[in-house]
Amino acid sequence: MKINPAFVEKVLTSFIKEELAKFHFKKGILGLSGGLDSSVCAFLAARALKPDNVIALILPYGKAYQDDVQDAQEIAKLLGIHSETIDISPMVDAYFSRYPTPDRIIKGNKMARERMSILYDFSAREKAIILGTSNKTELLLGYGTIHGDMACGINPLGDLYKTQIRQLAVHLGVPEKIRKKTPSAGLWTGQSDEGELGFPYGTMDEILFQLVDLRKSKKDVIAAGFKKEDVKRIIHLIKNSEFKRKLPPIAKISSRTVGHDFLFPYDWDK
Amino acid sequence: MKVGLAQITPVLGNVHKNFDLHLHTIEKAKKKKIDLLIFPELSLTGYTLKDLVEEVAVRPEKDPVFSKLKTLSRDLSLVVGFVEEKEKGLFYNSAAFLSGGKILHIHRKVFLPTYGMFEEMKFFALGRNFKTFSTPFGKMGMLICYDFLHYGTSYLLFAGGSEIITVISAAPGRGLSEKEKYESNRMWELMGETISRFSSAFLFYCNRVGFEDGKHFAGGSFIFNPVGQLLAQASYLDEDLLIQKISLDDIREARKKWPYKRDEKPEIILHSLQRIVQDYED
Repeated sequence: MKINPAFVEKVLTSFIKEELAKFHFKKGILGLSGGLDSSVCAFLAARALKPDNVIALILPYGKAYQDDVQDAQEIAKLLGIHSETIDISPMVDAYFSRYPTPDRIIKGNKMARERMSILYDFSAREKAIILGTSNKTELLLGYGTIHGDMACGINPLGDLYKTQIRQLAVHLGVPEKIRKKTPSAGLWTGQSDEGELGFPYGTMDEILFQLVDLRKSKKDVIAAGFKKEDVKRIIHLIKNSEFKRKLPPIAKISSRTVGHDFLFPYDWDK
Repeated sequence: MKVGLAQITPVLGNVHKNFDLHLHTIEKAKKKKIDLLIFPELSLTGYTLKDLVEEVAVRPEKDPVFSKLKTLSRDLSLVVGFVEEKEKGLFYNSAAFLSGGKILHIHRKVFLPTYGMFEEMKFFALGRNFKTFSTPFGKMGMLICYDFLHYGTSYLLFAGGSEIITVISAAPGRGLSEKEKYESNRMWELMGETISRFSSAFLFYCNRVGFEDGKHFAGGSFIFNPVGQLLAQASYLDEDLLIQKISLDDIREARKKWPYKRDEKPEIILHSLQRIVQDYED
């Protein structure tokens, strides 16, 4: 699980730089929450593209999470990247005043998609590629909003577990205040990833690493000393979120079909 | 002699742009008085081709790019990677050795990785031969990427008399640790050291760099001498033209001291293999 953060930084900054150059983009844009993942992504982007080519959108819902907004603004200032703070509450409230719901997950997902919608709009206005901030832990557990925070142009962080992002953050010089925060998807006040998922990131990442990276069986992971219920729950979360990691299936009826046997690389002629 | 390994980043699916990249590198190599310049696997096309395979395929005997490469090979010998349409509709992942205005040999990749992130058998026909051929620098055998990870292939070149083994590769990096390279880099280096040492042969391994569809090609091209010593290695991350002067006399020196080649018994290996193959159960 330990990484060489200097090596990973070099790889990921090259990835950002190369992918943008291939698609003739100069600028990158990302949603900056004031949390760890988006801060790390902002640090990488600022180093890969030069601060002047990075735009951070800070997208709070009203007055919730004021501290995080302030932290995000400080990160932007520290890195010298452009930032814009947009309150999403008028758009979100307009919708929920017509279709009210007490379900905070539905509300949170709508907010995540509102942010995505603004990011894509700014991406077109600014000719900037959206840098994703979903990490490997979230992607595997499906802990993200489909077409919300999971949507992006390229994702430099998607093959790093949360634990590894923490290692990278120290190396990059992400302020301690950000690194010590309780991870939260920010769907509602007081939400914490670990509280909602039911275990600390350390345990989740260890179990995922055994199952995914080392290809161990459920039996072996339990035998290695992890709690049976934890391992079972993690496998359940992985299985039930595959739809979030794939494009939707297309009913194949013709002789050549998008996604089935019409197979071209993403970086075609790049 | 002076050997050069061109650790480049090809453009995916654009032979025209890649030929320019080759041309540019060849010009640089000529200035450095390089005798043999080696490009990585599928250097003229890029790696993750999928359905683009047929669009970038060429027949070297008729192809204008190859006729230019042949002309260029009058000044220095070249190894390039490309998609070859050997017969109509059959596409191979091939390596060509060009020298003195001619193609001296084409190796067609035999071991086409088709597991995990790899899907080469879906798009390529498989080669069926490992042949040692003569070059101005002595007898050589060529392997492409995954060919080299099957150690029997190097043995065939060794038994066939190769004094130089040239491996061209498009190997993505996999696996993180606390080291400043991928875990997979070590795999290639281990094989390079072992094969050069026990074949008493020079080993040239040319990998590529850059990203394709998120895959990160992990560079680290290297040259081992016939006693398994690392002579030079390129960066794991950046484009490079690795240049190394070598003495072909080292092969003779190594084989005098370590008579693996003299004491080799291919006929016994062959017999044993035949017995193994005959005893296969369905």
